Amino acid sequence: MSTSRDRQNPAWFALIALLIFIAVGPVVLLLANSFKLDVDITSGVGGLLFMPTIQNYETALCDVLWYKPDHLRFCQIRFGGAFVNSIIIALVSTALTLLFGCMAAYALVRFRFMGRGSLSLSTLAVRMIPPAVLLVPVFGLWNNAFCLDKDYGLVALIRDTFGGRGDVCLAGTHSGIILIYVAMNLPFVIWILKSFIVQVPRSLEEAARVDGAGPFQTFFIVVLPLIKPGLAAAAIFTFRIAWNEYLLASALADRDTMTVPILIVNNASEFDGLGTIFATGMLLAIPPIIFTLFASRQIITGMTAGAVKG
Amino acid sequence: MPEIRLERLVKRYGDVEVLHGIDLQLADNEFTVLVGPSGCGKSTTLRMIAGLEDVSEGEIWVDGRPVSHLEPKDRDLAMVFQDYALYPHMNVAQNISFALRLARRSRAEIDAKVREVAEMVGLTDFLHRKPGALSGGQRQRVATARALAKDSAIFLFDEPLSNLDAKLRGQMRAELALMSQSVQKNMIYVTHDQIEAMTLADRIVVMHGGYIQQQGTPRDLFERPVNKFVAGFLGMPPMNFLAGDIEVVGDDVFVAGAAFRIRLSDARAAAARKHSSRAVTLGIRPSDLKYDPDAEAGSALKLNVEVSEYVGAQSVLLCRCGPERATVELSSETPMALGATLTFAVNPDRVHLFNRGTEVAL
Repeated sequence: MSTSRDRQNPAWFALIALLIFIAVGPVVLLLANSFKLDVDITSGVGGLLFMPTIQNYETALCDVLWYKPDHLRFCQIRFGGAFVNSIIIALVSTALTLLFGCMAAYALVRFRFMGRGSLSLSTLAVRMIPPAVLLVPVFGLWNNAFCLDKDYGLVALIRDTFGGRGDVCLAGTHSGIILIYVAMNLPFVIWILKSFIVQVPRSLEEAARVDGAGPFQTFFIVVLPLIKPGLAAAAIFTFRIAWNEYLLASALADRDTMTVPILIVNNASEFDGLGTIFATGMLLAIPPIIFTLFASRQIITGMTAGAVKG
Repeated sequence: MPEIRLERLVKRYGDVEVLHGIDLQLADNEFTVLVGPSGCGKSTTLRMIAGLEDVSEGEIWVDGRPVSHLEPKDRDLAMVFQDYALYPHMNVAQNISFALRLARRSRAEIDAKVREVAEMVGLTDFLHRKPGALSGGQRQRVATARALAKDSAIFLFDEPLSNLDAKLRGQMRAELALMSQSVQKNMIYVTHDQIEAMTLADRIVVMHGGYIQQQGTPRDLFERPVNKFVAGFLGMPPMNFLAGDIEVVGDDVFVAGAAFRIRLSDARAAAARKHSSRAVTLGIRPSDLKYDPDAEAGSALKLNVEVSEYVGAQSVLLCRCGPERATVELSSETPMALGATLTFAVNPDRVHLFNRGTEVAL
């Protein structure tokens, strides 16, 4: 075959090597430099010949380390805390979005109820509103409307114990940010999952019903495993949005709940060495990479798990 | 094993009524086949018995207990679906044991049952395969095994063989027949294939247009169809229908058409005499037409051969009889030329007469 002969051509391999270099090169550079001292980075010689050090990572994560690194006089950047916040917010909002999304999508596909068509359409219409429009109203609501009153017993207790304004508001909590991310991502997730659920043959659900499964068993044991690829795609999507989102998080987060993008923007001037920047960059890239690899494996096994009939 | 009774069962989708009051009683351990063309309501009837469709009117009784308000899982039945509906993410053993696991049976009990039914349908070597890695026939077996594992009293089949190729279908049909003899259950089987119906059924229920046309043993229906639809639906090649008029000449009663005139046997003649209208449709099965050049005119059809379909030992001849068409079977040995006119003897005891207007048998 001509295609296989083309692939024997050295030029073909050169092209592939070039593409790989373009794709992987920056990541390798990032990884290598994150293990270099600043002098090694700026000296410009010996690209890959250097004494590796984890000093940069110690600097980046100084606020969550259990020991005090020797080279630091004090911990300037609270990257570790923001990193943990980002992971909590991204994971929880992804999990909630998928949970609500798959059930909503299932209901929209399978159940006949009044307003189904317009509801289905309006989920997509919500996507057309840019997040910036939400910013001011959500900020107001989260700070004023969704608060537990200071005179309630429990809240009063919290105030007396921990101090503070005296009422507990959604603003500045993980829940506040998670909630808005779930709301933001749900429509799209519902839309994706709907197209997957439509493909699940109705007879499978009927068979499960005859076999003695209740509605929830049918959904979780039979339908959900079959739409795993859809769930994985939706999960990657929501995780990345939650991980990268800046605008809403910057308005709603406070000192203790800020996510990594907020921290980086707020403290850009305080990063004092190139090595630390590379190390934080590396740390920032790792969770989405791991998450995507994990989720895409589900996509691939889902595609090969195979047909209902053939 | 339970007795199932359908009482004036009606199904409506919106304003469209698709079943118009089905009355049916299914006895113990009977293999009942619902048969009819597409859209006749046979699958809907089955799905109503299964509880997958709501009953618009009427009631389903199982052992004297109304069940039409119950969920499928509370009706003690197992079902084999047309597309098998195997759970693609579970292996064969998990598919078979799904109902048992939902019922929280003990592990040992489940294992024993899975092994038992797998052996019954010949799947022992495939228990760890996923359905995607099985052939059509094997999937069909898994579907049957899954239903068998449930140990329900009622066994429903919704066109289980229609996705198989012809050869495999014959084989699976034989296996099903064998299984139905060894398993004492009330089986209800839906198909559009009249050969499946004839070979498997203890009782056939022919449906058409949302009504039951006739029910009875395969032999009953084949020999004494109550109307033209049932007569034409059962039997392969299908019955020939020729328009004719009744003529009474002294003691003899004839049916005369454009190109034939056949004397009726005494029993048929008596029925024909009582009949008010003269316009009838004469029905003759191809198997009741014998090639016989010497047949006398009063019990013979002269047919002009138009097309010959060679199918082995027999050939099926599509012929013209005056303005109408007729099908006959002829041994392929018989020398015959297209366009020739052949004489076929009619067995007068086995002709059928239908009122031409109402299509009801005389």
